Amino acid sequence: MTNSVSNSGATVAGADSPGPAPAPANGAPGATGQDMPRSVSVLVFMRDRGIFVLWGLLIVAFAFWCSPYFFKVDNAILVANAAALTALFAAGVGIGIMTGVLDLSLPGTAAVASCVCGWLLTHGHATWLGLAAGLGAGVLVGIVNGLITIRGFNPIIVTIGTLSVLSGLAAVIAGGYTFPGLTQLEFMGTHRYLAVGDSFSGIPAPVFIVAAVFVIGTIFLTRTRDGIRLMAVGGNAEAVRRAGIHADRYKVLGFVISGLLAALGGLVSTANVTEANPNASPAIIFTALTAVALAGVALTGGRGSLPRVLVGALILATISNGLTIRGIQPYWATVCTGALLLGSLLFERVLQTAVSERLMAANLSVHQKKV
Amino acid sequence: MSTPSPATPALALTGIEMHYGFVRALDDIDIHVMPGEVVALLGDNGAGKSTLLKVMSGAHKPSHGSIRVRGEEHSFGAPSDAADAGIQMVYQDLSLVEPQDIAINLNLGQEQLRKGPLGWLGFVDRKAMRRSSEKELDRLGVRTAPMTRPVEMLSGGQRQVVALARSAIRVNGESQGILLLDEPTAALGYEQTKNVEGLIRRMADQGIAIVVVTHDLPLCYEVADRLVILNRGKKVADLPAAGADRDHVVGWITGSRPSMYADATAS
Repeated sequence: MTNSVSNSGATVAGADSPGPAPAPANGAPGATGQDMPRSVSVLVFMRDRGIFVLWGLLIVAFAFWCSPYFFKVDNAILVANAAALTALFAAGVGIGIMTGVLDLSLPGTAAVASCVCGWLLTHGHATWLGLAAGLGAGVLVGIVNGLITIRGFNPIIVTIGTLSVLSGLAAVIAGGYTFPGLTQLEFMGTHRYLAVGDSFSGIPAPVFIVAAVFVIGTIFLTRTRDGIRLMAVGGNAEAVRRAGIHADRYKVLGFVISGLLAALGGLVSTANVTEANPNASPAIIFTALTAVALAGVALTGGRGSLPRVLVGALILATISNGLTIRGIQPYWATVCTGALLLGSLLFERVLQTAVSERLMAANLSVHQKKV
Repeated sequence: MSTPSPATPALALTGIEMHYGFVRALDDIDIHVMPGEVVALLGDNGAGKSTLLKVMSGAHKPSHGSIRVRGEEHSFGAPSDAADAGIQMVYQDLSLVEPQDIAINLNLGQEQLRKGPLGWLGFVDRKAMRRSSEKELDRLGVRTAPMTRPVEMLSGGQRQVVALARSAIRVNGESQGILLLDEPTAALGYEQTKNVEGLIRRMADQGIAIVVVTHDLPLCYEVADRLVILNRGKKVADLPAAGADRDHVVGWITGSRPSMYADATAS
């Protein structure tokens, strides 16, 4: 289980140790069968796992700087809870991007899902029905987005269009108002579970939801046939099509997953405030995108891993939490995140260049040895 | 399916015509390739090589003419039809999924699932795919890199080998498959080209019929058994590679030398 999380990182890092059996010397020495230099493995590890290191450093720094308040279980739960919503939307955006589409309609999907749920609940329907209908709305939006996009339209424009349609629809469902007093949903909002007497107040429901989403999502993307094909479609849709797979179906699937996660995010935020609000806030998508970009998920698609996206969301929450404890104005948190994002871009570029240079050098040296 | 005798071509196209409006991209082309034979398809830019290759791979439907695979008449509506008939195309862009590893790329579209309940849920058996990929590559005599290496970390030659091997694995399941290669050495250095040439030869020795479209004349002489030369949509020459005069070949390609079939086309 060395390569349980990321599809690229772990396999590369693990590729060195077992290695191949020595190339069969049957007079046909295929293409150069050298192994990767150690330095490349280290660099690739930094590229794929750097964000975990960064988060660890942040925690250590804040633990000293904001001592004694930061490094406590209660505060960790606060951070996790604060990161939960961002993480849900980031998972939606992230899976979309890995599949090769940027789904900008997420805030609209979230608003429609929470309004559908709110309408059903205020009209006396069962809680499960409200939740199912909300999630169903998300799936439906994903299907529509997907079916339009595979006709050859640019997904960004299509989802901007559906964003507009959806935020309007949400307001129509709500009749211009909101659905307040949805206390039935508290079990997945502010309610805490696993409390231990007075010493431990329990873990809030959204943290469990996020954990479930990321565990299932990660297993799906790296271990199942459909997940792997989904990632492959993001990497090279034409290649997947030529391999005899209906690439378009997987594109639609990507939209459906991202719509489903957006709906889930909308329902959780509704549960948090026990009020369904038809206002689609575009800020959601930008925070989510920040987390995704921080996680180093390339916008070109096909790359990235959900655990990194989760850590991206956690980093955002950690920074804002630590600065709040120090009594620093919250605006500085945004400044920090932005600077961090730009810094990580630079870092990634430097690493990528180093990796390619070393690989080139390795290939060249083998070349020269043979001649 | 009738058992193909050695005399039956693996792939035979007769009287292929392709019109784009008033433009005749292909004009009455006959071409065949025997099992285990490597045919090099030569021609200048715009001679119709790519169009002919697309007809063979099912991407284009010819305006006229018939396609026979191992003696049986086929009509390809889509590349998947050709794939079902045992024809695999290796595109010049290789069509590899760069972030995924070699094993996944080799198995894309025919992933092996785990046994038992996990398999019903669609879980793949990565270990089995790695093992079978290694076995297949060994059989072809190519060992590129660990099966877990992502394709983006391979050199150009290694990628070409992976792309060739993927198609070879797919047609090997069929009896006497057909491989169509589009410029397999266009982006490679000298040594990598040699490796790919060796691989093409070995695949042919295993009974695969191979059509290579290329600009690379030395490659033709290294691997091809027969040269077919197109000029402006017409077949101007079809001759064994051994002993073919280089100047004549260049002449046919550029059109400065009259067609071998001058009488037929004149009438």
